[in-house]
Amino acid sequence: MTQTRGCWRASGEFRSAQENRHLVARPPENVQRLFVQRGIGLNPAIRASGLSKRYGEVLAVDDLSLEIASGEFFGLLGPNGSGKTTTIHMLATLIRPTTGSAEVAGFDTGRNAVRAREAIGIVFQESALDRTLTVAENLRFAGLLQNMPAKMITERSGELLDLFGLQEHRTKPVATLSGGMRRALDIVRGVLHQPKVLFLDEPTIGLDLPNRRRIWRFIEKLRAHTAMTVLLTTHYLEEADSCDRVSFIRKGRLVESGTPGAMVEELGKHILEVESSTIESVVARLEPKVGPCLRDGDIAMFRWAKEDVSELALLQAELAADVGSWKVRRPNLNDVFLWVAGGKALKS
Amino acid sequence: MKFRPFYAVLEREVLRMIRQRTRLVAAMVRPLIWLLVIGGGFSATVGRTHGVNYQDFLVPGVIGMTTLFGAMLAALTTVYDKESGVMRMMIVAPLPHGWIVTAKMVSAALAAIVQAIMLIILLLLLGYFGKDTNWLLLAAAVPVASFACAGIGMLTASFSRTLDNFAATMNFVIFPVFFFSGSLYPTQTLPRALKMVAMANPYTYGVDFLKHAILPASANPDFSLALDIAVLAVFSIVALAIASWRFSQEAAVEPMIRVLAGKRG
Repeated sequence: MTQTRGCWRASGEFRSAQENRHLVARPPENVQRLFVQRGIGLNPAIRASGLSKRYGEVLAVDDLSLEIASGEFFGLLGPNGSGKTTTIHMLATLIRPTTGSAEVAGFDTGRNAVRAREAIGIVFQESALDRTLTVAENLRFAGLLQNMPAKMITERSGELLDLFGLQEHRTKPVATLSGGMRRALDIVRGVLHQPKVLFLDEPTIGLDLPNRRRIWRFIEKLRAHTAMTVLLTTHYLEEADSCDRVSFIRKGRLVESGTPGAMVEELGKHILEVESSTIESVVARLEPKVGPCLRDGDIAMFRWAKEDVSELALLQAELAADVGSWKVRRPNLNDVFLWVAGGKALKS
Repeated sequence: MKFRPFYAVLEREVLRMIRQRTRLVAAMVRPLIWLLVIGGGFSATVGRTHGVNYQDFLVPGVIGMTTLFGAMLAALTTVYDKESGVMRMMIVAPLPHGWIVTAKMVSAALAAIVQAIMLIILLLLLGYFGKDTNWLLLAAAVPVASFACAGIGMLTASFSRTLDNFAATMNFVIFPVFFFSGSLYPTQTLPRALKMVAMANPYTYGVDFLKHAILPASANPDFSLALDIAVLAVFSIVALAIASWRFSQEAAVEPMIRVLAGKRG
């Protein structure tokens, strides 16, 4: 009798393991080893399985499965409207998935939303501050909402305002702060309660370059100070370079995942960018020899897997008359993004 | 139960009330205009009925008005919170979302109570107040009426999406609620149709409770004290339940989430 039940349970486990077969974004073993070296835990801080969200006719997120290790710095990348924000809002318990489930810090985001929220800090694309209150009053409000004792709020916000260089603005109303300072304050608000998992939804959107750099220094400092798991969405790809792992999302589906370095490597050794006023015919002549390309107006982008570019030099000489510009350069994450956003598979 | 988040919402409401002095001044001037101008004018023509002149009859009405406007305007900040982003801070807090609605409703009631107390002190100083007042009953009537008004406000807030229709809310909710009540006239002598509307209006019972506390017994309030309290209590609880339910519905939160996501329209 006991044995049968054991069998039954075992088969149940087996079946659920089968169901989890599409956990495409689980770190592969070599990446896992890397994480162990970097001190990143392997208990998932975020686990999503088969998440979908439908808004009427639109399938905003489509069967998304994902595991993010605790302490990992994870980037969810994709074009506008690809479902990044909807994914974050589902993981942060703010909207319910149409199907599928998710766990944050071990708590189900549906059944145990309140416990999950205790572990979550989130910085939205748009400010979540009361413009009529001062910096200190906003942080006090946010801290009390997180059930923090007043003394702890004062201490923590003091430290964070120092770290973010906002200390001298403590008593100013938020409405008088610049966009960069407001965004920094928004991040302070998001991490005040020392969440285990921090969601950063386009943290630098709408900021100028110096402010973007400043925000990134803050985030790096924060990560150095705490063991926070960070899930970042951005379309400034250079910002995702420091991620432990990135996933590309396109039309609500995860399409590629890996470390930024590995993905860039997978794209190829070189990128060939050709500009021509007769691009159609140039592409027609190049594609059989170089492989498929990504078109953007008069520009075509090819991947080149070999280190040796002498073959390309020959092609260049051959096509010189038709080509306006011919550029061979190293690929970066931006190219991966364009390639994936263009609907092309990364594997050749 | 976590009380710090609850306290946070109350504290913010009080802070905002103190900051927005004009809102506070308006809350004092509005009832005084009614009492001194309308009340003064009608007193001269209507004369005394049931042993009270019209101006004295109007005192519970204008105190009710203060609680109604105070609570409604405070509750409607919930809509402002949705638009301005403050609601984002609240919905990510580790609390059941019904708890936020409750805190907002209590803080709206608190705003109404504070304003009512200020008006009562003003009226005392002006000498319009106090001869027949049952202070103990008044101390109960102001908070009970304020909660019911906060309930009307939270219901309105939970069904309106943007502040764009704030003027519409003013015209189609606050004013009708005020006019179709016993604030300006006894409901018993109203034409049948109007009387029915007034009786269906929870605010009528709040004003009536105030009449019990403020006017002499000869002035004949419309309903019994027990009925007033029962209606107000039941309405407040039902309003809170509906508003909480609306908030927990994705339909209510999701348009806002879409705004958060920057996907306007």
